Amino acid sequence: MAEPSAVVAQLIFGIVRGILLGCVFALIAHGLNLIWGIAKVVNVAHGEFIMLGAYGAYFLNLFLGLNPLVSAPIDAALGLAVGLGFYFGFLHRELRGKEAITLQSEMVTLVATFGLSLFIANAANVLFSGNFVGIPWNAGSVELGILQIPLGGIYVAILSVAIIALTQIFLNRTYLGIGIRAYSQDIPATQLMGINPTVVAAIGTGLGFGVTMAGGAFLTVLFPTGIYPYMGALYAPISFVIVVLGGPGKMWGSLVGGITLGIIIDVGQIFLGPSIAYAVAFLTLIPVLLFRPEGILR
Amino acid sequence: MTMVLSVAEVRKDFGGVHALRGVSLSVAEGRIVGLIGPNGSGKTTLLNVIAGVEKPTAGTVTLDGRRIDRLPAHRVVELGIAKTHQIPKPFLGLTTRDNVGVAVLYGSRQDRDVARAFDEANWVLRLVGLERHAETLAANLTVQDRKRLELARVIATGSRILLLDEVFAGLSPDELREAMGLFTRLQKEIGFGALVVEHVMRAVLTLSDRVIVIDEGRKIAEGPPQQVVRQPAVIEAYLGREAARAAT
Amino acid sequence: MKLPAIPKLGPTVWGIAAFLVVGAVAAPWIPIYPLTILIGLLVFAALAYSMNFITGLTGYVSFGQVVFMGTGAYAWGYVVGTFRWHPIGGVLVGAAVGALLALGLGAVTLRFRGVYFAIATLVMPLAAVDIILVTPALGGGQGIILNLGFEPLSWFYTIWVILAIEIGLTYWVTHGRIGYGLRAIKGDEDAAKTLGIDAARLKLFVFCFSGLFTGAAGAVNAWTLSGVFPNDAFALLFSLQMLAMVVIGGMGTLLGPLLGAVVVYIPHTYFLTVVVGAEFIVIGILIAIIALVIPEGIVGALRRHIPALRRILE
Repeated sequence: MAEPSAVVAQLIFGIVRGILLGCVFALIAHGLNLIWGIAKVVNVAHGEFIMLGAYGAYFLNLFLGLNPLVSAPIDAALGLAVGLGFYFGFLHRELRGKEAITLQSEMVTLVATFGLSLFIANAANVLFSGNFVGIPWNAGSVELGILQIPLGGIYVAILSVAIIALTQIFLNRTYLGIGIRAYSQDIPATQLMGINPTVVAAIGTGLGFGVTMAGGAFLTVLFPTGIYPYMGALYAPISFVIVVLGGPGKMWGSLVGGITLGIIIDVGQIFLGPSIAYAVAFLTLIPVLLFRPEGILR
Repeated sequence: MTMVLSVAEVRKDFGGVHALRGVSLSVAEGRIVGLIGPNGSGKTTLLNVIAGVEKPTAGTVTLDGRRIDRLPAHRVVELGIAKTHQIPKPFLGLTTRDNVGVAVLYGSRQDRDVARAFDEANWVLRLVGLERHAETLAANLTVQDRKRLELARVIATGSRILLLDEVFAGLSPDELREAMGLFTRLQKEIGFGALVVEHVMRAVLTLSDRVIVIDEGRKIAEGPPQQVVRQPAVIEAYLGREAARAAT
Repeated sequence: MKLPAIPKLGPTVWGIAAFLVVGAVAAPWIPIYPLTILIGLLVFAALAYSMNFITGLTGYVSFGQVVFMGTGAYAWGYVVGTFRWHPIGGVLVGAAVGALLALGLGAVTLRFRGVYFAIATLVMPLAAVDIILVTPALGGGQGIILNLGFEPLSWFYTIWVILAIEIGLTYWVTHGRIGYGLRAIKGDEDAAKTLGIDAARLKLFVFCFSGLFTGAAGAVNAWTLSGVFPNDAFALLFSLQMLAMVVIGGMGTLLGPLLGAVVVYIPHTYFLTVVVGAEFIVIGILIAIIALVIPEGIVGALRRHIPALRRILE
């Protein structure tokens, strides 16, 4: 390795980039976590909706010339609609009228959403052609001493944290949000409060999808040429690991988990090479599950 | 030889909550000990600790002098102690007979012969009066029959000491009379000992040889049933201080 | 330990046995192309039965099952390529490595329930492929390329034997004491423990079977390809196809995995010639619908709706 100061500079660069990446990872994991925490459904097709979000940004750029930051809210709105469709077309049949989600029903949705993920990824592969595409958008960069930080990365990281914070405020401060949280705790109690559980679960799912697809748009800023139909196969496991690291249902946990994973991947890439970095990131899951099954945050 | 279960100074904390603060008791094979106390007094936690479902924070549980408090639940059953669940937990996708058969195949007998195990299961089903539902899926049983199935399963494990968690709760007066009759018959036939957690006073007072009262994780009284319920501390625990003063 | 006696064999067993025996007798006369399709089908069936051991019998969804297939393939490639072992010896090594890996991974991951087990296993093949890519002894990103002859009959009889043993073991497990213990665990693991079932040991036991046969099938698959390639050997798609076969056929049943293999494999080969990936559009929808509408799979649904079949199908 080079002289110490260069190593330190690399380390700092890795950490900074890791934090930026981690914030966006946190956002996509947050989308999964919302659906997992609220509707108690682990959406195996999560990665495919990230992919759709990324393609949404790609096509909006291709046809309308929008940059990914502008596309993200459009993606989010689409995600909301897709999420409502997903809930009514897919989950409602299994979850309707259940007072608690059993392990059995969890397995059913696990397998069913897996089928959906196969369908979406391969349909996308046929429709969009299986090539990597990208969005030619560069927001420039800032220089911090010897470091060059891409501005686009900073924007999406800040926006990601802002979105997580906004959903938190929505869930904690608004009538509908509190109803959604009540649903996630205790379904019969929701009904006693005079809230329609179906409406609440559907909106919660829609919210999760909106966040997920906006996250997909943000990813295209960090990985400008990384859009392709099977990209979900990478981002879904990353999201799963982050949610487990942070603790399912804990929204700020996703942010901590996301940044942890972002730093492991980016710093690891510099010192261990990309392969081992990802292997380490994935395997972090095991000690956490063994020793801190409630996530790294208390 | 008669089997004796003893619990000595058992404590159990959940985070900062002290569910049990040092409880001691013993149950001998063939004897019925009632365990009563207000809601949240730690009765179910105590049963879980004995059954190996929870590990005690301190104290010991022994069976014939042998420590069992660090053993996993399935080992405790193999040694001859089995617990019912407060809310019945049948294997919903299996028939009633299969539910009981599983308990025979594992349990304390560890009988590996499937055919013989099912003969035994049929015998237990007749004992508890579930034989006409032998082929019914447990998911289709009524609540009352599910409770019977809980009882049938612990008996089928061949355990000598049973931990019964509110098996008489939620029954109508007629059903209660029938269930108590069934319990007495089974106990005579098999001779098991039991630690019976119960809210239904009539059942506890009639069936128990001895009654233990716990409150807030501590034992506050012990003795023959009719005597125990007259003690001021017990009345206080159940009804509050005012009632205790009025009664004495 | 006394082994439980084998109960009387039912029509399903005879049916499967007839299918296997007819296949074995006819194999030398089957033309090459249909024979290779039949070999592929048997490999898929072997994978389906190995998934059935863990997911079908215990309800633990193993998304990372392909990790055993990949390691089995690499173990095979290594001993055949480096030590010049006979491919069949390599298959045995692949099976052993699969079982050992299952023992190690299972000891850790089987503590996690439901989704957590699924996710913990999911990351295994992802991590494995990342590690293999930087392991020169295993060919790194290049993989292991061998120049073995085209011997479909050897492939056929090897996978045939594996599948026959596997189905026999499935029968033995489901009809004996272990089967009742597993059904109890699948129904309610906590309740099972309070009846004296050592859930951890039973789960690990079937998981090892699962790893063993997945490893063996992975080795045979590598043999038919005459090589091992990192991204293909650990492709999650295999896990998912295994899961699909078991879910479609009927989890935990004797005939289900074979039916599932037919339903998944046939469109797989058919659509493969049309457009790459198209078969998964069909399979994906099929899985989603079956999981939501008939979660008990084809065999389970038939048993439920046609009482006459209850005595025959298992």
